[in-house]
Amino acid sequence: MKLGAFIPELLRHLFKKPATVDYPFQKLEVPKDFRGSPYLRPELCIVCRACERDCPAEAIEITAVNEAEKRFRMVIHNDRCIHCAQCVDSCPTEAMLMDTRFEISDYDRHNLKMEWEYVRAVVKPRSEAKTS
Amino acid sequence: MKFQIPIGPQHPALKEPISLRMTVEGEVIRDADIRLGYNHRGLEKLAEQKTWIQNIYLTERICGICSHSHTTCYVQGVEKLMELEPPKRGLYIRTLVAELERIHSHLLWLGVAGHEAGFDSFFMYTWRDREIVMDILEIITGNRVHYGINTIGGVRRDLDEQQVKRILDSLDILRQRSEYYKHLGTNEPSFVARLAGVGYLSREDAIALCAVGPTLRASGVAMDVRKDDPYAVYDEVPFEVCTADTCDVLGRTVVRIKELFQCYNIIEFLLKNLPAGPVAVRAPRRAKPNEVVSRYEAPRGENIHYIKSNGTDKPERLKVRAPTLGNYAATIQMLKNGFIADVPLIFAAIDPCICCAERAVSLVDARTGQEKIISLNSLKSLSLKLSAGNKRKREAEWPL
Repeated sequence: MKLGAFIPELLRHLFKKPATVDYPFQKLEVPKDFRGSPYLRPELCIVCRACERDCPAEAIEITAVNEAEKRFRMVIHNDRCIHCAQCVDSCPTEAMLMDTRFEISDYDRHNLKMEWEYVRAVVKPRSEAKTS
Repeated sequence: MKFQIPIGPQHPALKEPISLRMTVEGEVIRDADIRLGYNHRGLEKLAEQKTWIQNIYLTERICGICSHSHTTCYVQGVEKLMELEPPKRGLYIRTLVAELERIHSHLLWLGVAGHEAGFDSFFMYTWRDREIVMDILEIITGNRVHYGINTIGGVRRDLDEQQVKRILDSLDILRQRSEYYKHLGTNEPSFVARLAGVGYLSREDAIALCAVGPTLRASGVAMDVRKDDPYAVYDEVPFEVCTADTCDVLGRTVVRIKELFQCYNIIEFLLKNLPAGPVAVRAPRRAKPNEVVSRYEAPRGENIHYIKSNGTDKPERLKVRAPTLGNYAATIQMLKNGFIADVPLIFAAIDPCICCAERAVSLVDARTGQEKIISLNSLKSLSLKLSAGNKRKREAEWPL
């Protein structure tokens, strides 16, 4: 044991670049499978409500706008979303996807809401809803 | 002359709300009393209202550092209830993430130990190297903290060749750095002098007080759920249970550094023997009425989940015993006859996660000290009565 066993390492780091990045000006790239916020491709949604049922945060809300015209509205409350991507896993037609945005904070939680109004798609599910 | 002093629930040294009442004689602690319940979140009750799938993400949020340990423990139990057999590849990936998590937790703890011992540059360097593991976890699972890799019947994401190579490359750097920390942790005289002999817990006490995890192993008891009751693929993976016999904070540091090397070996083995095939099987939505106890060796110690099902798609009961709770009794023993200045260090040495362990609250009358049990409705009316006449938050006036 000798005193100052750490000093050589400290001195070496004097001449190294910092380990952090200069964040707001320089951004790290997120991996391609990063779980950002969920979004809907309305042309593929068959309104099976698997995402609404499985969402652990109850952040997805599907309501009928006009039952006869088969018009539906989906609201994703991003202020409640926990970014787990279970909706992507549950979706049988791959209508739900995740983006890679991570700077999504806002001063008002209502601005985080995402809304789609669409006619129910007629798509054959590629698989059965995975968790049914 | 004896004094009683309170430490916490809000205290600069302990980062989470926990209250310690200590009876001191001068600087020496003679007795300690731990009071819990400042961080209770009603999580077990909430679990009864959510489906099996939703509960994976709920149990993940019990802890921010060992999030995978809680989901794995829960998912293993549910798989037993549903009589599912997850595929080998899924189990390998699950174990891989578990070991990566152990590395990140132990590196984090090393930093905290350095910080509490007044060795802040050590804290900076370990946390910088921890970023390597966090990046790997982000690449394979999609997030840094809540991995969300488990699902009932396997895992949600597969590994590809590129990721395997990336992990193996990073392991070399981590090994080299850990070797350096091992050298430092046992050779830097000021660091060793601060840790040695602090928080003594004898082997007999550790067993009698049911200590778990590295705290137990640092007292010379080779007990590890991965060896004693192998889950996932631990019965195929060669590894050693690391112990130390100094019974103090230094021993706990040594055990964790040794475990880091075991983790690297396990990860290397898992990646080199990764079987091909699917990663998950389909799970039913309901489970037959039954009950199950699931055990898991979290980075902090043994984690136990008890799950009871009643034939619906929701659990009837979920009980979580986090490792920190198992270590509290031993902590009191460690604090006895120690110094007040050692409290943060001894407490940090069990790697406490307060919000993991908060499973209940009790109502105590502040004047008489009497405990009582009341129903939720009367609790609500009591709180309404107490807060009646208070201004609503948005109408509140700034008092100064």
